[in-house]
Amino acid sequence: MQIPKFAWKLLGVGAGAFAVTFTIYFFNLDMKLLSAFEPILLRHYDRIPRDQHL
Amino acid sequence: MRDLKHLTYFEDLLQEANNALVVQAQAEGKKCVAFVCENTPEPLMNLDNTFGVRLHAPNTGSMDIATYYMTSLLCETSRSLLERAVEGGFNFADCVIAPDGCTMINRCVENMELLKTMGAGKDRFFYEYMEIPLKADDNGVELLVLQCKNHILKPLHDTFGTDVSDAAIRRAVAEHNRVCALIRALGDFRKEARPRITGYEFHVLTLATYVAPKYLLIDKLAETLEEVRSREPEEKAYRARIALVGSEVDDSEFIKLIEDTGAYVCADRFCFGSLPGRDPIVLTDDEDALTQVCRQYVYRGQCPRTMNMEKVYGRKQYVADIAREYHADGILYEQIKFCDPWAYERTLGSVMLRADYGFPVLSVDRPYNIRSSIGQMRTRVQAFIESMEIKKIQGGVR
Amino acid sequence: MAAIQGRQRIGDKQLGVLFDGGKVRRRREWRGVKDTLYDYGRWLYILSILAKFIVKPRNIKAMFRYRWMANYLAVPHMVDKFTMGLRDEALRIVHTAMDFVVYDVANTMDDVFRGDRRTGNDVEFSNKCVLTDENEMTAFMMGFPNVKAILREVPTMFVANLLTQNSTTHYLDVAQQFGIAGDVCPMPEAEAGISIDDDFAVLGVCAVQCNTTCDGSLMGNGLIAKRLEREYGIPTFQLVAPMRHQEDDVQAYAAQDIKNAIAFVEEHTGQHWDWSHYFECAKRVNDTTRNRLAWLEMNSTPFPQFVGAPFSLYNDTNYMGNCGRSEKFPPIDRKIMRYAERGSRARRMMAKEYRHRAIVWGVQPQYCIDMLNWMVHCWGIVPLTDMLSLVNTRMIADTDTPENREQAFYDMAWLNENMIMRNRTHGGYKVLVDELWEFCETMHADMVIMWEHMSCKALTGMHGQFEEQARARGIHLVWVCHDLCDPRVYTRQAIRDQLNAYMRTVMREEPLDPSIEVLPDENAW
Repeated sequence: MQIPKFAWKLLGVGAGAFAVTFTIYFFNLDMKLLSAFEPILLRHYDRIPRDQHL
Repeated sequence: MRDLKHLTYFEDLLQEANNALVVQAQAEGKKCVAFVCENTPEPLMNLDNTFGVRLHAPNTGSMDIATYYMTSLLCETSRSLLERAVEGGFNFADCVIAPDGCTMINRCVENMELLKTMGAGKDRFFYEYMEIPLKADDNGVELLVLQCKNHILKPLHDTFGTDVSDAAIRRAVAEHNRVCALIRALGDFRKEARPRITGYEFHVLTLATYVAPKYLLIDKLAETLEEVRSREPEEKAYRARIALVGSEVDDSEFIKLIEDTGAYVCADRFCFGSLPGRDPIVLTDDEDALTQVCRQYVYRGQCPRTMNMEKVYGRKQYVADIAREYHADGILYEQIKFCDPWAYERTLGSVMLRADYGFPVLSVDRPYNIRSSIGQMRTRVQAFIESMEIKKIQGGVR
Repeated sequence: MAAIQGRQRIGDKQLGVLFDGGKVRRRREWRGVKDTLYDYGRWLYILSILAKFIVKPRNIKAMFRYRWMANYLAVPHMVDKFTMGLRDEALRIVHTAMDFVVYDVANTMDDVFRGDRRTGNDVEFSNKCVLTDENEMTAFMMGFPNVKAILREVPTMFVANLLTQNSTTHYLDVAQQFGIAGDVCPMPEAEAGISIDDDFAVLGVCAVQCNTTCDGSLMGNGLIAKRLEREYGIPTFQLVAPMRHQEDDVQAYAAQDIKNAIAFVEEHTGQHWDWSHYFECAKRVNDTTRNRLAWLEMNSTPFPQFVGAPFSLYNDTNYMGNCGRSEKFPPIDRKIMRYAERGSRARRMMAKEYRHRAIVWGVQPQYCIDMLNWMVHCWGIVPLTDMLSLVNTRMIADTDTPENREQAFYDMAWLNENMIMRNRTHGGYKVLVDELWEFCETMHADMVIMWEHMSCKALTGMHGQFEEQARARGIHLVWVCHDLCDPRVYTRQAIRDQLNAYMRTVMREEPLDPSIEVLPDENAW
C-alpha cells in the first residue's frame, strides 16, 4: 500500500514540530526566554502611577 | 500639686500581682479568679465568695524561660505573664479564666496549664477557656452569655459553691458600678484646662481596680476623689495634651515617661484603662442581669479583634470622640511589640485619625516594661510634643 | 524505621545537574523515554492552558496592569519543581493534581479579569461574583449555583508565591512603608500591601471575609475591606469562625453566622439559596473527604503514594477553594486514586531508598514548599502528610430532608471552622500538639519536620511544648524555621540547611543524592 503524499507531509510537519517543541522543552528554552522578559515587565510596573493608601 | 494622700498605697498595690489586698481577701475566705483579658465580664468574677484579679507582671526583667517556650516573637505581655507564672508569682490564684481572645494570650495560658505553673496544693484549681465574640451583634451576645454560663458561672458554682444567681450578679454589678463611678469622676478632672490629677496618678488608681479586689478599694478611692475635688492644680501649663490609645498598658511608668516630657495624658483608651473599661454597666429589671452585662461587653468593647466594619470604623470614631471630649492636642497610638491585632489597628487608626479626623498622631511600638526602652521612647514622645508645639506657634490647626 | 530499598531511578541520577545558579534550570530532567515523553506531553498541556488564557485581550491588559501577574511567567517552572526526580505513578499523580490546580487557577484568573473594572469590566458578570478571602472555606456558597465565589487573593498572593519566591517582597515593603509592623505574618501583610498598592483586581457585588486563619489575617481584612467599601462601593461581610472550634458551645454561634452570610449574599446578588444544589455539593464534599482519608491510609503503609506539596496544594484547592462546588474535581480525584492504587500495588517508591517517615507539621514556607520533594530525593525522608492536609474527617449531611436543612448550617460552619491550617493552629493545644503525636503513631512516623513559621504566633507559642514532648516520646523533631513567604528572612537554602544540619549531625547520615544537598536556587524564580 502506498502512503499518500499528504500523510508524509503531515508526518514531516509533525516530526518537525515535535523536534522543535521537544528541544524547547528539554533545554528549558521556554523558561529561559520568559525569565528574560520578567525584568522588562517589572520596570513597566514600576512606572505605573499607583494610588497608594490604606 | 500636693501629693495624693493614698498614692503610695495604690502604687504599692501595683508592685506585685499578689498584693496586700489579694492576700486580705483570701484571708477573708474569698477565692481569687485570675483573668487575662478585658473581654471577660468582670462582675461575674466578683460574686459572693470570689474576686477577680487581672494578671500582670510588674517589674518584669528577664523573660528567658517564657522565650524558650514561646520564642522571642510572641508579644512581651504574654511572655512576661508566663515568666511570672513559672517563677511562682501567680500561685495565689484559685483558678484562671482565659478567653481565646488574641492568640498569644491564649497560648500563654495554655503554657501555664501544661507547665503546671499554678494550682500546687489547690485541688480544686481549674483553667477555663472561653470563646469571645468576634463581632458586635446579637449572635455575639448570645454566645457570650453561653460562654459565661459554661466557663465562668458553672465552674465557680460547682467548684467553690459560688452564688451565681441573678441577684448575686446584680449585687456584683452594683459594686462594679460604684468603682466605675469613682474612677470616672476622678477621670473627669482630666478634662479641665488645669487638671487636678495627673495622667500617671489616674492610671495608678485605675490599674489598681483591675488587679485588686474592688470591694477593698472603694473607701480609699472615695477618699481620694474628695481630696482631688479640693486639690489645687499645677500653675504651669502642660506642653500638650495627649490621648493614649492602644494595646494593654499595665505599666504606669510609661504614662510617667510621657508626662515627664511635659505632656499630659488626658485620656486612656487601652486595656487596663478607664475608657471604656470603667463605664458603668446599666441594668434594667426587664431582662436577666447576665444577658445585659454581656450585651454591654459585646457592644461597648474596643478590642481590635472585633471585626465587623461598624466596629472597625467605630473604634476610630470613639478615639476621635474621646480626644475631643478630653481636649487632646494629639493622639499617641501604641502597641506592645509583636502584637498582631494592634499592629494593624495602630496602622489603620493612626492613618485615619490623622487623615479623616485631623489629629496629630504618634504611632509607636513599645516593650512590656518601658524601663527597657526609656531613651528611645522619650525621644519619640519629645519630638511629637515639639511638633505639636511648633504647629501651635505657627498658628496651624492642630 | 528500617530503610526500605527500591530500584534505581531511570534517567538522571544526580539531580544537581539541572541547576546552574540561574533564574531557571539548565535543562529539563531526563526520565527515560516513557516518562520524559509523558512529562513533555503534560508540558504541552500546560502551555495550552496558558495560551488559552493569554490570547484574551483583557488578560493581556491585566498582564501589563498588575505586578503580581509577572509571576505567572513561571508556571511551567513551578510544575518542574514539584515533579523533580519523579517517575512512574508518582510523576503521573503529581501532574494530574498540579496540572489541574494550574487549570483551576487559570480559570479563576480569567473570571477575575472578566469582572475586573480595569480590564474586562463585564458588569453583569461582576454583579454575580462574591469576593472571598484567600484562606476561607467557600461552604457558604454551596447553595448558590449561579453566583461565582472569587477567591481574589489566591492568584494574587498565595499561588504567586509558589511560582516565584520574590512575589511578595514589593507588597511587604509597601505595607511596612505605611506603618504595619514587620513582625506580623507576611501573608496577610502582603495582601494588605496589595490593597494599599491598589493592585487587586476590582470586581464583585459584595465580599465575604473570614477571620481564618489568624489574628493577622483577621486584622488585615479590616484594612482591605475599608478600601473595598469606601473606595469601590463593595459591601463586605465578616464571617465568624470561632477559635475554639472543637467545643460544642460555639457551634450554634458559628451556624448562625453562616445563615447571616448567606442572607448577605442573597441580599446583594438577588439570588436565592438552592437546597438541591447544596446537597449535590455536599455529596462531593463527602467524596473528597473519603478520598483524602483513603490517601492518608495508603500513606500509612510502607509505600506512600500521594504525598508532599502536591497533596497539600491539591487538597487546599479541592477542600477549601472548591468545597464541593465544582463537578470537575471528582474525575480528577478518581484519576489520582487509580494511579495511587496502582502505585501501591506495585510498591512504587519515589527514591531508591526510604530511610525515614515524617509527618510535616506547622505552616509551609510557601516559596520553598517543594522542599518536601527535595527531602525525598536528598535524604530519603518521606513526607507522609502535612498539617494542612489533616482537616475535616466527618461526613456532612448530604440528603435533602427538613432536619438536614438545619444540620446543613452546622455542617457549613464546621467546615468553615476546620479550614486548612486554622483547624490545627487554633482550637487549643490538643489539636496542635497532642494530635501530632497521635498522627505519628497511626502513620508510623519516626520523624517530624517542624516547619516553624516564625511569625505564626499560634504555632511558635507552643515551641517549647513541641520540643519537650517530642524528646519525651523519642521522636526526631527537626526545626525548620522560615518566614512563610519572605525569602529575605530565610533563603531557600537556609531553610534546607536546617534539615541538612540535623541529618548530618544528629542522624549521622549521608545524603542519597549529594548533588542536591546545596542547591544554587537563591536567584531562581
